[in-house]
Amino acid sequence: MKPSSKSGLLFLLFPALAIYLFAVIAPFVGTLGLSFFRWDGYARPTWAGLDNYIRAFKDQVFQSTFIHVLIYILVTLVVEVLLGIILAGFISSRKKTTFLRISLFIPVMLPSVVIAVLWSAIYNPDYGILNSILADLGLANLQHVWLGDPATALLSICFVSGWVYSGFFMAIFVAAFSRLPSEVIESAALDGAGAYQIFRKIKVPMIQQSTSVAILLCITGGVQGFDLFYVMTNGGPYNTTEVPTTYLVKTVFANGEIGYGSALAILISLVGLFAALGFRTWQSRKQEELEY
Amino acid sequence: MKHFKRLGSGLIYLYAVAALLPLIWMFLSSFKSDGQIAQNPLGLPTHFDLSVFKQSWSDGGLGLYAINSFIVTLATVVIVLFTSSMAGFALSRLKFKGNKLITGLFLLGLLLPIQAYFIAQNQMFDYFHLKDTRFALIIPYTAMGLPLAIWLVKTYIDSLPKELFEAARIDGASDLQTYRTLMLPIIRPALINVIIFTALGAWNEFLLALLYIQNESLKTLPAGLLTYSSRYETNYQLLFAALTMVTVPMIVLYIAFNKQITRGLTQGSLKG
Repeated sequence: MKPSSKSGLLFLLFPALAIYLFAVIAPFVGTLGLSFFRWDGYARPTWAGLDNYIRAFKDQVFQSTFIHVLIYILVTLVVEVLLGIILAGFISSRKKTTFLRISLFIPVMLPSVVIAVLWSAIYNPDYGILNSILADLGLANLQHVWLGDPATALLSICFVSGWVYSGFFMAIFVAAFSRLPSEVIESAALDGAGAYQIFRKIKVPMIQQSTSVAILLCITGGVQGFDLFYVMTNGGPYNTTEVPTTYLVKTVFANGEIGYGSALAILISLVGLFAALGFRTWQSRKQEELEY
Repeated sequence: MKHFKRLGSGLIYLYAVAALLPLIWMFLSSFKSDGQIAQNPLGLPTHFDLSVFKQSWSDGGLGLYAINSFIVTLATVVIVLFTSSMAGFALSRLKFKGNKLITGLFLLGLLLPIQAYFIAQNQMFDYFHLKDTRFALIIPYTAMGLPLAIWLVKTYIDSLPKELFEAARIDGASDLQTYRTLMLPIIRPALINVIIFTALGAWNEFLLALLYIQNESLKTLPAGLLTYSSRYETNYQLLFAALTMVTVPMIVLYIAFNKQITRGLTQGSLKG
């Protein structure tokens, strides 16, 4: 349909477009531009060419942030997606699951700062419950200063993420399972397949698309993850939980290196994008191979 | 086989209760004195004194943070609702030069993480003296919510029969009239999802709230809670009281609307 009037069309489109161009597109172009300058935010910016990017590739702390985030993504991927799919399998094969669905999803909607502060308290060596539970179980030798010990800090944060997002992925998989045609499952049950076999051989393979999406979300969410890390450890102890985003915020807002920070920001965005694209292509290749 | 199934049920309920333990501990600790929390973290409270909530709400400033969050969230949701439904309608139904370009531009927003633009955004907001005003949050939250909102509205309208809109046109309705009288009521289901993920996104957002608002009296809950938690670092009971006060209303809200919220949030993330 052609618009009934030009002014009407403009009226419909302008507000959204104006806000979006002002607060997302222009700053994106700006960040891209700033990444080629040296700038502390006050003096005149000076042209740096690719210097910021070259420096980023040599920056060992920046490199280590990707190792940390890779560990984080791998752990959360296994914990969250696997746990999510198992929980969803249980829930979708049962009736009366409201309590389970609600109690496991609650953390997803809470502000991440609340979650980070709460878990910092749980991990707290003075009054946290984790160490007291360990003591009560007679496992006092397992007690740690969870977030202050380089050996446990990163995994402790992974655990919190697992606590939150396994419920989220469960919800995604429950929805995917509920869309499956019930005839297939019923006929398999008639043929004598058990609940586990149906889950493993029929249900899980049939929701492959949702699994791919879940993995994709885990990757992009991991690369962009900030809140838990910033509140719980802010990169410490000894940079062991420094992730790209916390390092970026430090570079820009603590050290005032806006040009260099912009280059880091663009690189982080690209890594996230390429990880997602790479996974997608790999998936569709695998799909094609299966079809031939 | 039956035993096996019962064991599975038992395990999963046990797991669900274990998953709730942190929240239960938080709730109970807000009724315990600092001494009780430190000496006996697992103990039950001996009496239920509600005055700590009042103290956290008024002296601790939690009430102010909550009001700020409420204002910012409400403004964001209202603006996103109107602008996204108008734009989504235009992009779905109207043929004009640049439609594909604008649609593509909004789709790009689904791919751009916040890191790709917040540094220059910070400079721009500095330049326009937007920082330390509520607009410093309302504008970016709106802009960040728009791509997905427009996408959901557009695909929803795409799926509706064309005749619906053509009939309105033949009856002499202008696009704006069609939008107001015909479209807005029809796309309610899509808009409910938009409300849910926009509201929760704005309510929970932390990074920009941390960077753009230094003024205590304008801070929203996430950034405010961080200041609060460092202020009352050793005042455990007040800390737990604040966490409980933020959490409990959200849990109640979730129990009341759990189906819609779960759908809104999962759809909200399944972009692209």
